[in-house]
Amino acid sequence: MHSLKKNRPLRRIVLASAATVSGMVLLLSLKPHSAPTVAVAVPAPSGSSSAGPATGTKTVTGDTVQTRWGPVQVRITLKSGKLTEVTAVTYPQDNPRDQEINSFALPRLRSEALQAQSADIDTVSGATYTSDGYRQSLQSALDSASS
Amino acid sequence: MTTVYERRTEPAVAPAVRRSPAGPVLVLLWGGAAAVVALWWADTGSVVGTAGWLTGAGRIAGLLCGYSCAVLVGLMARVPLLERRIGSDRVARWHAMAGRYTVCLLVVHIGLILAGYAAQDRASLWHETVTVVLDYPEMLKATAGTVILLAVGITSARAARRRTSYEFWYYVHLLTYAAVFLAFGHQLALGNDFNGNSAATAAWYVLYLGVAALVAWFRILAPVRLNLRHRLRVESVHREAPGVYSVVVRGRHLGELGARAGQFFRWRFFGEGMGWTSTPYSLSAPPRRDLMRITVKALGGHSAAVSLLRPGTRVWAEGPYGSLTEDRRTAPKSLLIAGGVGITPLRALFETLPGDVTLLYRARTAEDLALGGELEAIARWRGARVLYALNGPDGRRPSLSARSLRATFPDLAGHDVYICGPHAFARELYEALRTAGVPDRRIHHESFEL
Repeated sequence: MHSLKKNRPLRRIVLASAATVSGMVLLLSLKPHSAPTVAVAVPAPSGSSSAGPATGTKTVTGDTVQTRWGPVQVRITLKSGKLTEVTAVTYPQDNPRDQEINSFALPRLRSEALQAQSADIDTVSGATYTSDGYRQSLQSALDSASS
Repeated sequence: MTTVYERRTEPAVAPAVRRSPAGPVLVLLWGGAAAVVALWWADTGSVVGTAGWLTGAGRIAGLLCGYSCAVLVGLMARVPLLERRIGSDRVARWHAMAGRYTVCLLVVHIGLILAGYAAQDRASLWHETVTVVLDYPEMLKATAGTVILLAVGITSARAARRRTSYEFWYYVHLLTYAAVFLAFGHQLALGNDFNGNSAATAAWYVLYLGVAALVAWFRILAPVRLNLRHRLRVESVHREAPGVYSVVVRGRHLGELGARAGQFFRWRFFGEGMGWTSTPYSLSAPPRRDLMRITVKALGGHSAAVSLLRPGTRVWAEGPYGSLTEDRRTAPKSLLIAGGVGITPLRALFETLPGDVTLLYRARTAEDLALGGELEAIARWRGARVLYALNGPDGRRPSLSARSLRATFPDLAGHDVYICGPHAFARELYEALRTAGVPDRRIHHESFEL
């Protein structure tokens, strides 16, 4: 447009806003809207178990599961076959975002696991990847405890 | 200053048109924006829930804002390719438009990210804001940068500029460098798309360090080099017309500057009460081996002070800038139309523009015709025409309509028309020329209206 042509600022503003909004909406809508299953779960040979004395207490550490944000690993304590404690020993904490997320997600996952007495727990909304990793590591711990 | 002209006898040939690199530069800049969006695309697996949408949109806005800030600084780095080949005024307009958009992107980015985080953490917006600003790394600096950038945006609005002085706007705008520096940290520390992506982080550093290098060289080091080399001093000041003064500047090795007729420099005069901000003034004659001349109309404090400059005053110049030169020619015939003090660059072009040249000088009265004697002399030796459009004795303005222009110049559409003068004057003339059938690409103008 020639520098001397009368410019129409209102038209420019409307066009720019419309283009920006529709561009963003388009980009966002083209992405999948459900959390994908964790792509790579590398079962590291770290499943360990230690059997306690005659009371039947077992402590088992599950596999380290690689999630998008980092590794997740849980350790469980079983008393006479009952799940009494679940602790996340490894979880993503690189940046404050991770720390924030995990500060609310991990306690929720723990209480759900204890309630369900299995790895059949719901994903904590907003901590999709952590929940997935948690679930998988918990399952591997339970599997190796019962084997 | 008596000018000595070399007689030139070249025939009027159609010029070889030099393409402006505006197209490729724009492609490059938009390509960069696309690359930034592609980075977001590659890094985002899924967009889940309201929080996902808000945060995703906030990230896109943030990435584009960060990229755009680098581009904005780069556009104003006084890169010769931009200033001389595309045109200082055009680049400044790009900067102004992109600047407004960037400030909007900034506000959108902040709002969306905070809303997205708040939704995810089930906190109130206020609580989330406090957490983000105080607890997240680099966020205090980013907040300071935001405040500065918003201030820059507000003070650059037309309504604000009408009410404040140029100096105020200039010094606030200078803080943009600080804002960009402060905000850079949080982009890399918290940017979802830079975390763990060393290629993207490296590219971001290259972008910002590259722009910083451009600024350091073209805005700081090159001008220092120029002024140390050429040692400019005021030689003399002459009165051309009521309120119009010419300043002749003496320097060394001025041929090395490569300044051409139609270009301007940004000048600082180390005289009393002259201040430190630079002002653009066009050369009113082609530069000689050791002399340059500008012609200034005393309109306000600064330009009035120019008329009082004493010989020997040190001069600091940056340039040459501007693309209103003979490079813009597309036809063998040219028409130069000057309004008032707009005669300045056109007087220089009148002397050197190849081909068949006519000058139309619009002023209120014959007294206001600055440099009139020189124009007549140039017209005589090169066989060019000078026409005057003055107010009638009853004060009536001359008609510069499509009809009168076509009547005076039968082959108007076959001319390159160079216009220089007050903005309203140039606008009216543009409409008249377009109506008279002159194509856009043949109307040349340099306007600093943003």
